[in-house]
Amino acid sequence: MEVADKTTFKWDSKIPTGPLTEKWKTHKNNVKLVNPSNKRKYNILVVGTGLAGASAAASLGELGYNVKAFCIQDSARRAHSIAAQGGINAAKNYQNDGDSIWRLFYDTIKGGDYRAREANVYRLAEVSNNIIDQCVAQGVPFAREYGGTLDNRSFGGAQVSRTFYARGQTGQQLLLGAYSALMKMVHSGKVEVRTREEMLDLVTVDGTAKGIISRNLVTGKIERHAADAVLLCTGGYGNVFYLSTNAKNSNVTAAWRCYRKGALFANPSFTQIHPTCIPVSGEYQSKLTLMSESLRNDGRVWVPKAQGDKRHPNEIPEEERDYYLERIYPSFGNLVPRDVASRNAKNVCDEGRGVGESGLAVYLDFADAIKRDGEKAIRDRYGNLFEMYQKITDENPYEVPMRIYPAVHYTMGGLWVDYNLMTTVPGLFALGEANFSDHGANRLGASALMQGLADGYFVIPYTIGNYLTEVTPGEVDTTHKAFDEAEQSITAEIEKVLNIKGSKTILDFHRQLGKIMWDKVGMSRDEQGLKEAIEEISALRKEFWSDVFVPGQPATYNKYLEYALRVADFLELGELMARDALDRPESCGGHFREESKTPEGEAKRDDENYTHVSAWEFTGVDKAPVHHREPLIFENVKLTQRSYK
Amino acid sequence: MSNKDIISVNLKVWRQDGPNDKGRFEDYSLKEVNTHMSFLEMLDVLNENLMKEQKQPVEFDHDCREGICGSCNLVINGIPHGPEARTAACQLHMRHFNDGDTITIEPWRATAFPVIKDLVVDRNAFDRIMAAGGYVTVATGNAPDANAIPISKIDADSAMDYAVCIGCGACVAACPNSSASLFTGAKVAQLSKLPQGAPERKQRVKAMVEQMDKEGFGDCSNFAECEAVCPVGISITSIATMRTEYVKAMFS
Amino acid sequence: MASFANALQSQVGRKILTGLTGIFLTLFLVAHLSGNLSLLIPDGGEAFNRYADFLHDLGPLLWIAEIILVALFLIHAYIGISIYRNKKKARPVDYKYYKSQGGPSKQNFASKSMLISGSVILLFVILHVMHFKYHLFSPETYMTSYNGEEMVDLARHVEVAFLNPWIVAAYSFVMILIGVHLKHGVWSAFISLGAKNPKITPVLYVVGGVVAVLLAAGFLLLPLYIYINGGLS
Repeated sequence: MEVADKTTFKWDSKIPTGPLTEKWKTHKNNVKLVNPSNKRKYNILVVGTGLAGASAAASLGELGYNVKAFCIQDSARRAHSIAAQGGINAAKNYQNDGDSIWRLFYDTIKGGDYRAREANVYRLAEVSNNIIDQCVAQGVPFAREYGGTLDNRSFGGAQVSRTFYARGQTGQQLLLGAYSALMKMVHSGKVEVRTREEMLDLVTVDGTAKGIISRNLVTGKIERHAADAVLLCTGGYGNVFYLSTNAKNSNVTAAWRCYRKGALFANPSFTQIHPTCIPVSGEYQSKLTLMSESLRNDGRVWVPKAQGDKRHPNEIPEEERDYYLERIYPSFGNLVPRDVASRNAKNVCDEGRGVGESGLAVYLDFADAIKRDGEKAIRDRYGNLFEMYQKITDENPYEVPMRIYPAVHYTMGGLWVDYNLMTTVPGLFALGEANFSDHGANRLGASALMQGLADGYFVIPYTIGNYLTEVTPGEVDTTHKAFDEAEQSITAEIEKVLNIKGSKTILDFHRQLGKIMWDKVGMSRDEQGLKEAIEEISALRKEFWSDVFVPGQPATYNKYLEYALRVADFLELGELMARDALDRPESCGGHFREESKTPEGEAKRDDENYTHVSAWEFTGVDKAPVHHREPLIFENVKLTQRSYK
Repeated sequence: MSNKDIISVNLKVWRQDGPNDKGRFEDYSLKEVNTHMSFLEMLDVLNENLMKEQKQPVEFDHDCREGICGSCNLVINGIPHGPEARTAACQLHMRHFNDGDTITIEPWRATAFPVIKDLVVDRNAFDRIMAAGGYVTVATGNAPDANAIPISKIDADSAMDYAVCIGCGACVAACPNSSASLFTGAKVAQLSKLPQGAPERKQRVKAMVEQMDKEGFGDCSNFAECEAVCPVGISITSIATMRTEYVKAMFS
Repeated sequence: MASFANALQSQVGRKILTGLTGIFLTLFLVAHLSGNLSLLIPDGGEAFNRYADFLHDLGPLLWIAEIILVALFLIHAYIGISIYRNKKKARPVDYKYYKSQGGPSKQNFASKSMLISGSVILLFVILHVMHFKYHLFSPETYMTSYNGEEMVDLARHVEVAFLNPWIVAAYSFVMILIGVHLKHGVWSAFISLGAKNPKITPVLYVVGGVVAVLLAAGFLLLPLYIYINGGLS
């Protein structure tokens, strides 16, 4: 594999000059435009049809480009954005509570623990309002007040009420809005959606993205698609932990193959662990289910004061309970940000005070809220969540406190992109959770949906033109030798994995990888653990390639073959995540290093040495990647230590 | 974990090698099924066992496993998504079965949903119905302020009741006639409640119904079986709404 | 107009037509029943015979009404059969095991047997018309006169027919089937015609059942009365 020479490697974040509030406006005025009659000559591939992908494909189709969109599901509507519950932020200030673009920007950059670019985050806040307008116009039935105007709710990390929502299914409704716009473009012939088709490689010619190799998941046929630009909208990689709140088919493969073709991977270790998930109930567990963060508005988190107290929660008297969040953080109490809540749950369980059969859970108790507001009020607020909890655990949360535990939820890291969302491979763009750009080291609630749609609807339609004006459309077609080579290597890889016929199942490896990741690259990390993780993952990878059993044939529908290729990539990604975590000895946001904490045990940043983005360059599977650093420059906000006491 | 949490079950699973294969049932038995497992986790265990014997695992569609993506499509003991009302197969847990039960698993059966392999079917017909008219035409960036048109809470809530459709196709699978009226009606009804959908509502209902016909779904006979199996409980009032919308469109 | 005709042939159009024709046929049954029940007035069948005579004297108007009625019937039956054929096409491979989820489902004996009950009713209607209009099974024509006005004694004709236990049995069986058909049919017609208020639809389901029971009971009353009573008076 060809690897760029690190000494000559050039990358530039392309942040426009001028004052923060003017950067995006100026940039939009300065980007080069593609003539309408020329747009139809350009082919664009959009990989993934979640919020970012569907909105980008629809918007680019409307502009007149030829778009092909790919999804691994049987319909574009099933992308995992659909599962987002809580809401989407926007700086509308409809509540007249003092919100503004500036405040949304500030909350997001602070929530990210000052590890994101000011310019990107400001642009995100700026276009947030257009997103709400667009979605309402599409027929998204957001919650409304009796007067007919839009309702808002509060969410963690903000002092204003700026979250728009559609019951507990905001992600679904926003995705269906974007999906309907996409299907309209399909109807008009400007976009072709290829369902059940998975990108397996990026095709580059002279270092520029010119197409992809994909596998038709129904027939197993390897397909070639040439294009003038490729948009990667493939979401996050939380499934590297095996158990996460991600959908079972969410994976890193497309992004990872781009990394292997020269795109830098930024901040891979920045993972968000969500504090309120239903705990693991047994070895067979296949995924974790999130309970909306909004539950912490009324629920009180506690564990018994004594270790190993196995009494029924309702039999533990008040004075023997430790409401630890209220005790440690008197001013924020149960509403501390996600990373803080998660870490504290882990601490009390590590002390042996966890509850439930596994001892890996804490109580989220609604008894006081029910006493105060009545069961009906609680049912109105959280009825559907309580129902879901009861379905899964067979326990009635109106009578017995919920058991919750943190789970991997979102990955802030992703492919490195510049201000135009272009990766270090010209012509390859990354949008939504697949890129690293806006959330720093920790994402605030209700910001993921905002970013996915901002990138797809309002950023890429402008910035892609700037790139395309410098490209001759249709320069490369699928007969180019780069396609031959890429296809051959994929075919060979599939043959190889199918022919190992080893003794362990793919799931065995994935579980084992997940355990290493959770124990050593999870909620809290230290140097020794990370070094061990690197060794163990590397060994596990070798074992995978010599002892895995993958059933079936290449040219058929074969879900376990898809799974095997994804786990193979996770086995490389996991190691990179550990390296990234190791090379950042500070604590920030979701990244907590045992070596870097305040005397009270809180996360301690090291702004002097680590105010930068870590971006990694691939040099070969068993070789150490090259570490690049993009300094983060804060001209508009002052870096402070977060405190929720 | 006590013994009562462990059951054994016999499975009759539909196996079909491809669209042209006739298909057959195969019997499996699983000992030591933890009742806290989800139904799909039970199938995971079955597949792990099969692969450890170097046999072909059972193919089935699944993704989010929290009842929202609409991927799972199992007819369990004769009922799409199984015996629990308002529960997608992925949210069904083994505690609803007894020790020694025989469980039959079949795919959605409809001409419009051809079987791809085993329990996996092709549901792209739904996408084509949506493409025919299940949208509001608004180019990106052309929207007025979100609060410019007030919508009564009642209408917004009612639109949401229809909008929660997860597109799983259980309505078609359960319908004795294999009708897609609940799916199509839900989208028509949602957009009929909102001012944003108004300018193209006539064209929409005609185009979507026409596409539904073309895809080879059967007629609706108001059995309401669709509503009974719908994991999100969409009411057949959506179908009635589609019909009134259709009549309005016919006379214009 | 072409598009209007096309629209009527779509799934939704067909369903609306089924509902409309069904409602009109049900109204016809109500009218028919009220005519029948006039036989129970203890006047030796005079009211009934006068009513029949009045209808008969309508001449061309009656023909038009009859043609409309036959058309309604044929459209209703034709669509019913085509729904069944589509159903077979839409699921050529059936489930090995199939069960209703219950709850809001309206799958029951009535709704599942619409085609069978409908077919029997169709056959019955042909025989019924042959019987009472064209005297197929009882060739003699009874005459009577009121105040010198000569007319067909249809009441006697009915009386004779319903003294035959076989006819009573067959007739009763079909009337029960009509009740079964209407139990799903009336409610279904409301939904087909756009009844969509979630508060009202459950009421309509009950209304459908009541209409079905009343009509079936009404039609059963006469033959059972005549047979058990040994005649009209």
